[in-house]
Amino acid sequence: MSTRLMIEPVTRIEGHAKISIQLNDAGEVESSRFHITEFRGFEKICEGRPFEEMPGLMSRVCGICPVSHVLASSKAGDMLLGVSIPIAAEKQRRLVNYAQLLQSHALSFFHLSAPDLLLGMDAPPAKRNILGLLERDPDFLRRGIRLRQFGQRVIELVGGKRVHPGWSGPGGVHRRFTTEQRDEILTWIPEAIASVTLALDRLKPILDSFREEIANMGNFPSLFLATVNPDGGLEYYDGKIRIVDSKGNIFADDLDPARYFDWLGEASEDFTMVKFPFYRPLGYPGGFYRVGPLARLNVARFAGTERADRELREFKERGAGAVCESFHYHLARLVEMLHAVERIEQLMSDADLFGDSTQARASLNRTEGIGSCEAPRGTLFHHYQVDANGLMVKANLLIATGQNNHAMNLAVDQAARHFLGRVDPGIPPDEGILNRLEAAIRCFDPCLSCSTHALGRMPLIVEWIAADGSVLGQISRRPE
Amino acid sequence: MRTTLLIACGNPLRRDDCVAHEVLRLVTRTPRLELLGVQQLVPELAEEIAGFERVVFLDADVRSMHPAIEPVRVTTSGSPLTHAANPSEIVALSRALCGFDGEALVCRIPARDFSPGESLTPDELHMMREAAGELERLLAPDL
Repeated sequence: MSTRLMIEPVTRIEGHAKISIQLNDAGEVESSRFHITEFRGFEKICEGRPFEEMPGLMSRVCGICPVSHVLASSKAGDMLLGVSIPIAAEKQRRLVNYAQLLQSHALSFFHLSAPDLLLGMDAPPAKRNILGLLERDPDFLRRGIRLRQFGQRVIELVGGKRVHPGWSGPGGVHRRFTTEQRDEILTWIPEAIASVTLALDRLKPILDSFREEIANMGNFPSLFLATVNPDGGLEYYDGKIRIVDSKGNIFADDLDPARYFDWLGEASEDFTMVKFPFYRPLGYPGGFYRVGPLARLNVARFAGTERADRELREFKERGAGAVCESFHYHLARLVEMLHAVERIEQLMSDADLFGDSTQARASLNRTEGIGSCEAPRGTLFHHYQVDANGLMVKANLLIATGQNNHAMNLAVDQAARHFLGRVDPGIPPDEGILNRLEAAIRCFDPCLSCSTHALGRMPLIVEWIAADGSVLGQISRRPE
Repeated sequence: MRTTLLIACGNPLRRDDCVAHEVLRLVTRTPRLELLGVQQLVPELAEEIAGFERVVFLDADVRSMHPAIEPVRVTTSGSPLTHAANPSEIVALSRALCGFDGEALVCRIPARDFSPGESLTPDELHMMREAAGELERLLAPDL
């Protein structure tokens, strides 16, 4: 009798999801799937609304990376107006995007994944959290909290508030950047550089102790997709799309994000609410790809800042071509944090940032607008169609977590096959093994709910369900 | 006279969940009192509370029948599950990382309806006033 093993919900990720593992009669893993069980419907909600409202409305898609949605939406609005925004507005948007990258990555690394990395995959669940880290290394945790605080503070200073800043819209931004804001931001820089450097120095030496996890938690060839600048360097706000293969060779280049639908297709499956984007010339599922920190470091030739370039060169030595182990998303995240802090520091001495003109004014000039940028978790596309009055007719959002969807399914399947081996329905699998399946997902830092308010605590329930639907066994780690 | 920080937690778009924010509006402002409204508790608050001699977390509570103020029970085992924190975790972090040695209290305000919306259920008006009264009594010696 075949049996299904369920991990629901997956913990320490943003949102609600579950993992199901189908076992065959011998108790061996037959298949594994990552189910994203939420439905948001923002594409439908926005229909009939004025396009000028979209940055404010679409930022509500996410409480962790609202800046990305504000920026992609603002850029789609720029295109609808048919304007080039003032340089001061562009620099502000870049600044806030780096700040968001920093705070989001700090959350993922220090709060969600560091417990696995520093306390061990087999540490007791009650201790495998930030309070466990507090006991083990309070200074490390304090630095992580302050790094996120720094990113949030920059967003608050420039954007007006930490979550859902509304300072950017079609045509530019609504506030000037001041020297007082610069002075406060500069006071944070030395500590931020030191903290990310410390995290890199802590992570790199312990990677050897995770050889089995690195080799079996999402280690496979794939395409990698990211935005690059005209010289092929790291780019987060505006540029062309480049795709590299697992050998590190450029597979497609100079792709216009405003024509994403020409080269990206979107498939769906009946077991999850999230789409499966694919590179259209290779079809589905052969054209699946990865986005986000790992993809960006694989795609970019250089970072463009001193410390991050040093780390990027070292990072690239980990792969024969591209780095294909999803576990190295963690390391890539830290390299990107270092780069973000360096870029924020550079921007503080950029006279363009302080310009008085921050808004290009125009009325509607087009009925179709597409904005893209690099969100913390990967490339983000907002595609709007409006009527002659500027009311939204159609929206399509292509979000990073969706673009990693196929890779996440492969990662959890690989981890299940390796770590679970053969399961006896009468004996619950070791908790540390189940944690490794979740950790395979956590590498990607998926953002599923994109809503800020956590309604209560998420329990973890593992059920054995027979082919006839009867529950053969259950374990729960519901907190008090 | 002690400095006090009141932190109201809740989502303003989830009806009664925002009752703590409404209670903040009713509390009399004084020089030694600071007010902060958040959607959820996050670890960064550990540093914010460290500068105060007393912190009170205000939150909607589906299990309470009447508003009540009680000490935060600080534990060292946290939730393995989310990045959001509870008062106990915030206080534990602040004590260990930021040197907070003040009093930590939680004010639970009964709430029933957490569905999408901006209006409170009728009972909440009474609960709000009662909770604000409890807070005023707590703060009175330090005015």
